[in-house]
Order: sequence, then C-alpha cells, then structure tokens
Amino acid sequence: MGLVKQKIVQLAERGKLKLERDYSQLLTALEDGDAAGRRQAAREIVRCPDAAKTLVNRLKSEEDLSVREVILNTLLRLNVPSEVSGLVDCLRSEDAALRNEVIEAFKQMGSEVDPILHTLLADPDPDVRIFVVNILDSQRHPDVESWLIKVIEQDSHVNVCATAVDLLCEVASEAAVDPLSRLKARFASEPYIQFAANLAIKRIREV
Amino acid sequence: MKRVLIVDDAATVRMYHRGILESAGYTVTEAWNGIEALEKALEAPFDLYIVDINMPKLDGYGFLRELRQQNVPQSPTIMVSTEATTTDERSAYRAGANSYLVKPVRPSQLLSYVRLMLGEAVQ
Amino acid sequence: MTTAYAHLPESEPIISDEDFLKFKEFFYRRTGINFEPTKRYFVDKRLVERIETTGTGTFRGYFTLLRFQASGEELQQLTNLMTVNETYFLREEYQFRCLVDSILPEIVRHRIGSDAIRIWCIPSSTGEEPYSIAMYLMENWPGISKWDVEIISSDIDTSVLHRARAGRYSPRSVQHVPAPWLTRYFKAIGEDYQLRKDIREAVEFTRVNLSESAETLAYRNFDVIFCRNLLIYFDDISRQTAAETFYEAMNPGAFICLGHSESMSRISSLFKVRKFPEAIVYQKGLEAK
Repeated sequence: MGLVKQKIVQLAERGKLKLERDYSQLLTALEDGDAAGRRQAAREIVRCPDAAKTLVNRLKSEEDLSVREVILNTLLRLNVPSEVSGLVDCLRSEDAALRNEVIEAFKQMGSEVDPILHTLLADPDPDVRIFVVNILDSQRHPDVESWLIKVIEQDSHVNVCATAVDLLCEVASEAAVDPLSRLKARFASEPYIQFAANLAIKRIREV
Repeated sequence: MKRVLIVDDAATVRMYHRGILESAGYTVTEAWNGIEALEKALEAPFDLYIVDINMPKLDGYGFLRELRQQNVPQSPTIMVSTEATTTDERSAYRAGANSYLVKPVRPSQLLSYVRLMLGEAVQ
Repeated sequence: MTTAYAHLPESEPIISDEDFLKFKEFFYRRTGINFEPTKRYFVDKRLVERIETTGTGTFRGYFTLLRFQASGEELQQLTNLMTVNETYFLREEYQFRCLVDSILPEIVRHRIGSDAIRIWCIPSSTGEEPYSIAMYLMENWPGISKWDVEIISSDIDTSVLHRARAGRYSPRSVQHVPAPWLTRYFKAIGEDYQLRKDIREAVEFTRVNLSESAETLAYRNFDVIFCRNLLIYFDDISRQTAAETFYEAMNPGAFICLGHSESMSRISSLFKVRKFPEAIVYQKGLEAK
C-alpha cells in the first residue's frame, strides 16, 4: 500500500508492439471491432502512401471520434493532395461533427490545397463556400486578405460575405476599405453586414 | 436579470448579439464553442442559450446533447444557422432546440425570439 | 510629424483601444484566455515589450507577425509573457483536493481488481507538482493505506529532471507547504529544503518528448493525468497529438486535469467534461476502448 515506484522500463512490456505489419494486414486491422485496434492501424498505416484513398473512405463510415482523429492526422502526415478531393465530399456531409473535423484538418494543411479551395469558392452550396472561407482564413500567409476581399466583392450570398467580413475584422488593411463600403451598399438593409463592415473599417482606420 | 449564453466561434457575431441583448437589459456571457459553453453552463446554468451550429471541436448539436446528458437544468435554446434549408431546422429540433433562427439576424427578430423563449411579453 | 520633433527620442508604440480588442479576440480564440478591460495595462505593457524586441515597430506590424508566422514562435513567446509560469509546491491546490475528494473515489468505485492507481504528471519541471501530489495523498487520502499508487513524472528537459530527482528547494518554492509537512517530508539545509529520501523515491522521473509518439508508447494504463500549463504553449497540431497520446495512455474512465486557465475547448473533443465541486476536469469514456 502507499506510494510505489514503478520503473517505466517495466511498463514497456505491457505496451509491446507487434512486428511491423504489411499493408494488407493494416487494411484488415482498420476494420477491427476494437477502436484501439483501428487507431493503432490508422497510425501505422502512415508508412503506406497508397493508403490515403482507403483512409478517406474509412473516415466516412467511422463512428468513433478517436479513430477519426487518428485517420485525419495520418492523412495530414501522408500529405497527398490528390486525395484531398475525397475529403471535400465530407464538407457536404449531413454529419455536422464529421464536417467540422474535416474543416479543422483542412486548416492544418499547407498551401498545396489552396488551388482546390479556390475552386470551391465557386461551389453552388453557400455552406461549402462558408467553410472554405473559414479554411482559407487560417492559411498562414498574408494573401488571406486579398482572398477575403475577393469574396466580399464577388459572392452573392449574404452569409458567405458575412463570414468573410468577420475574418476581415482581424486582418484587414486600407485595401479593404472600399470593398467593405461597397458591400455595405450592396446589403444596405442587413443590419449585421452594416455592423460587421463598420467594425472592420473602424479597425483599419484607428491606427 | 436574465442570463444568456451566446455560443459562436465568430467574434463579430458574438459582439453583435451581445450588443442587442445588453441594450435590452440581459446579462450576456460568451463561449467560443460547445466545449467552452458546456464548461460555463456547468459552473452556472443560464436562462437561455443562443447556439451556433458549426463550431470547432464541439458543434451546436453536440452541445445540446451534452447539456442533456450532464443533467444541466433545462433552459430554452435558440439554434442559429447560416442555412435556410429544412434539413438543418429538422436536425435542430431533433437535437432539442426550442427555436431556430437563420443568420443574419435582425435585432428586432432576435429580441422577439428571446422574449418569447423567456416567457416575457413580446412587443 | 514636423521636424520640430525630430530631436525627441522615439516614443513607445501605441496600443489603441481597437488594437487591444483585436488582440484580445485573437488571443482568446487561440488560448481561451479572456483579458478583461482591467488587464489593459498588463497586456499593453507586454505587447509593447514584444513589439520592441521583435523590431516590428507598430502594433499593426507586430500583429501581422503574430497572426501569420508559420512557426508560431512569437505567439508562444507572447503566451509565456501573458501567463504566470512560476512553479511551487501546492500550486493550484484545489485540483489536488479534487483528486482526493472526487476523482480517486470515483476511480476506486469502478475499479475491478486491485491494480495500482497510476498517476502521470507532465511536465515535471523541477518536481514540485509530482511531489506535491505524493505528499497530498499521504496526508489527505484515506485510500492510500489500501491502494498502491504509482506516480510517474516526465519532462523533455533533462536538467530539470536532474533537479527534480535531487529534490532540493528554495524557501520560495515551499512557502505554501503547511509547517507539519515541512517537518515530516523535508530537511532544512541552510536556507533550502531537501525532500527526504522516501518521498523522493515515491516518484519515477522520466524523460519524454510528448510530440514523439515513439517515446510515449510505453505510457499506458494511467488513471489520472496532470498536464498543467503545458499545452497552452503548443500549436494546434501538437495539442492534438498530445490529446491523442493522453487518450491512448489512459484507462477507460481515467481523468485528466489541465491548468487553471486552460480548457479542452482549444485542444480536443475526445474527453468528456466533468464538473466536480472542486474543479472542472476531463474524462475518457468508461466504455471507451
């Protein structure tokens, strides 16, 4: 009883890893009834660059959040831009949790996915365009402002523009002032747009 | 004074709703997503929740589900969405929301809903 | 500005009201820490310090760096400045009270068999936290006479681990330790306090880099994890990796405690929020695998 010191070395025995499994073994393990087993497989499969497509498919049917998180993490590490289009489908999913997880994953991707995202800015679904605006905002280069300005100049849907203005409140410079004023005129009867655009302008103007 | 929790990951939206509610005399607290909102509700339950659907880590539906599972005293919830389709509205009611608003919200609209949900006279 | 002012020293960068709000929103989003207007002076002072150190010249220039820097280094530096980093015995003691009054009773209630209760403290820093837990359990947990408890504490920095194992502390570090505990667990050496051997031997110190999954493989079957005031300094990806590592390291039903101003809301949705009278903590599902 009481405080007992347990050398961590002994613990290594408990967590002994199986020998390196091959691709087909890992594919089978991805369907394991146990979430821990699926997580482990999704982690190990990072060694197999061909796994991206399978992982995206697995993601769509995986109900355990902890497994989905590992799958997304592995996909990020695999970094296969061609498979990113599979993830785009998830943005249209009715499962809000899955949508939001995929949005979070996109936010962590590098600028290789920007071309795909820019294409999606013309997607017919305004919610998809809103997600893309959010994802673009988290890209870490100063082009962000010009993308957001383009959205408020070109998008027809009030909520897509509203999302862009919200983000402009943080990153806007003098270049955004005229587009913001034009947006205000375009949505003259929307109190939220007036509020948000005024806030963005105020933040630019107050040095 | 009635306490309202505004749950939305967009700072400007929270600010806008806060302005409307505070000028009508409500006490407003903000949360950035469903997890933060749950933590605040567990500390001290609110009289009304105004909840966005799409938020990182725990969305609006997840938050409502957790509120129920954690046995937080029941209070009305207004769910707020960017999309006017019936899918979201049905999901909102199925998740336990008491009412549903589509952004962008007008001040008078928000206040009517809030008063209605709180059982106050609607002007 | 006219040349009449050219002879005056350069003035300090100015943080306008809107600058403060912009920064406040950004920092709140990233860390969950909300600066009230009363903290204006505190925040401004540190922003000015960083503006000057980074040579960015203005708030606008500095904020651009903060917002867009790929490495996130400046944000980490700034977060360090904005948060209180001091370590001492019984820091955030309410969580140890929670451990003894709420967490351990629940773990014990669901326990099948008599395996030791395993606690992981990371980062160990110079050892104040794991040793605090050890003493607190000895002094305040009746269950200590019935259950084995293993405390493992890890850090990435071998020099602090060395100091932790040595167990020698300044008066400042032990200022909140009740006098009877000081007598029972420490020996005065000059102005310092040396932890006695039996308490030092109650904690296993290990070196670990939390972001290296190969290093954390052996960390399994924990019942409680204390990870206080570490993740707030991590970027998004590292936070997530850490959360997954903890998830794997935890038994079903295990608990994790973060620092006073930290929240899983900025880290992960893997864990259930649990409110106890003493604190809000997080739990891995009982049915989780």
